[in-house]
Amino acid sequence: MIDLISEIAQVLGNNKTRTALTGIAVVWGIFMLIVLLGMSNGVLNSFNEHRNSQGSNMLKVWGGITSIAWQGYKEGRRVSLDDKDIARIAADNPAQAADVSAQVYGSALTVSTPHDYTSAYYMGVYPSEQRQRSLNMKAGRFINDLDLHERRKVVVLSSKTAETLFADPGDAIGSVVKMGNIAFTVVGVYNTEWDQSIYVPFTTARVLAGGGDRIDSIVIELKNVNSEADGTEAETRTRKSLAANHAFRTDDESAVSIWNRFNQQLEMNRGMNILNIAVWVIGLFTLLSGIIGVSNIMFVSVRERTHEIGIRRAIGARPRSILSQILFESVAITTLFGYIGIFLGSAVNELIARLTEQTEFISNPRTDLNIALSVTVVLIIAGMLAGLFPALKALKVKPVEALREE
Amino acid sequence: MITLKGINKTYFGAVPLHVLRDINLHIDRGELVSIMGASGSGKSTLLNILGILDNYDTGEYLLDGVLIRNLSENRAAELRNRMIGFVFQSFNLISYKDALDNVALPLFYQGVSRKKRRLMAMEQLDRLGLADRARHLPGELSGGQKQRVALARALITNPSIILADEPTGALDSKTSCEVMQIFRELNADRGMTIVIVTHDPGVGEQTNRVIRIVDGRIAPDQ
Repeated sequence: MIDLISEIAQVLGNNKTRTALTGIAVVWGIFMLIVLLGMSNGVLNSFNEHRNSQGSNMLKVWGGITSIAWQGYKEGRRVSLDDKDIARIAADNPAQAADVSAQVYGSALTVSTPHDYTSAYYMGVYPSEQRQRSLNMKAGRFINDLDLHERRKVVVLSSKTAETLFADPGDAIGSVVKMGNIAFTVVGVYNTEWDQSIYVPFTTARVLAGGGDRIDSIVIELKNVNSEADGTEAETRTRKSLAANHAFRTDDESAVSIWNRFNQQLEMNRGMNILNIAVWVIGLFTLLSGIIGVSNIMFVSVRERTHEIGIRRAIGARPRSILSQILFESVAITTLFGYIGIFLGSAVNELIARLTEQTEFISNPRTDLNIALSVTVVLIIAGMLAGLFPALKALKVKPVEALREE
Repeated sequence: MITLKGINKTYFGAVPLHVLRDINLHIDRGELVSIMGASGSGKSTLLNILGILDNYDTGEYLLDGVLIRNLSENRAAELRNRMIGFVFQSFNLISYKDALDNVALPLFYQGVSRKKRRLMAMEQLDRLGLADRARHLPGELSGGQKQRVALARALITNPSIILADEPTGALDSKTSCEVMQIFRELNADRGMTIVIVTHDPGVGEQTNRVIRIVDGRIAPDQ
């Protein structure tokens, strides 16, 4: 093995400029592949982070307006969700509905403390909202069942709102804020980048809204769903339950709008796979031009060394050792320069990662060990392919060549 | 050592060329023989056949008791490596390898370890008085030195015969004499069987037996 390596080093060292020029094409191909993979990884990571910030196994339902006349009602009737729907959805589809919760959206109001004030929207929610939105508590706790049951006047603020309202945001927990004219106790502060909502118990929000049993949206967390068909079934069943409660036709798409996050997720996964494949295809084609360059130079090398190969054959080299020498040379050029490409590509990815730390649409555009390994395999195969035809040509060199005068 | 019986060889081109006609030849162990002939006489083809570099059409070639006929490329390579030491007119050293590596190359194809073959190559160079040139590239050596390196390479596998193709063709007369002197010593002191192909009568004179080839036939002894 050491012999083979020193042999290859000698040969490549003979034609440094030519080897380097050929190598640049390989460096470029691998560089492009790594940077493209890094970028697509960045986009995928960013997608995933956003997706994870809102649970994916769920349906979200809003009321709408009917478009088909049904059971004596004319079309164009508004459908408002209410408390009966929560119970019914859960009862009609126990196999798939893991948890059914609801939200009431409040209007914008002024939230103030002696220190400062801000204007914000509040939302009446169930405790499960924290899980669904993956809210990360910075201090205190989220709305709990007791808050809900006792209609407590408690509130959970975003960290940004807390910074506005309190001189020292650490003092927020247990302090009183005024929402409109009513005093609420702050029980929790959550970390956030975008969401500035103020969360209060669902039951409390309903009192603030003036009572009644109106609901703005229902969230159904799903279980036992594995395929798009399962997701569609959950959606259809939910629509049926609501249709029975509100007297609209089950095929009336506009009566309620259902956001099927589960199916959307599956679709996104497909899209990501396609993106990934596209990146590999583009990268490999870029690499191909480099490989052809290597192949070309190996042809030249074999031609130049016809006499040398003849000598080697005359003094006892088997055809196989000639074949493997050319193949190894080709693999050596490809992998050597390939790794330079990996190194440069990773460096650029690292740079981009640093520069885009604050942006949302690319997150951590780096390539991992897995990709480095697959690229290594790609390089070795590519080198073999590049060397194959030149090596076969070298095989045709007869030992008599050694006797021919140059 | 070498027995040729009724060897025929024809090159089939546009016009078939019958280069060797019914060659019968016997060379004993320890002989120093020269094969002489004008260019086109078929002596190079004969050398190719003797060196297992080329096939013959009919006849029988025995080298050190081994029948050389219809060999696979691998077997031919192995026999060349172990039984034949080549010395060429233009030396045929590999230009980017130093003298030591060139001499060691046949052992590389035998799978001898790096350390051992370097040791053996050094020993061989030393015998031919080139120990101090071991790390020099062929380009840095004189013609006579190059041919001695090539000889060391031919000798390193301890072959049955040395086949030399115009070994002095690229050398001046003084160096030619030196190289021929080495051949004679190898033959006399170590009992090496040596076959030299040449068209130079001066070289032929220094061998113990001259075989003349004329138009593809061995001319009767004079």
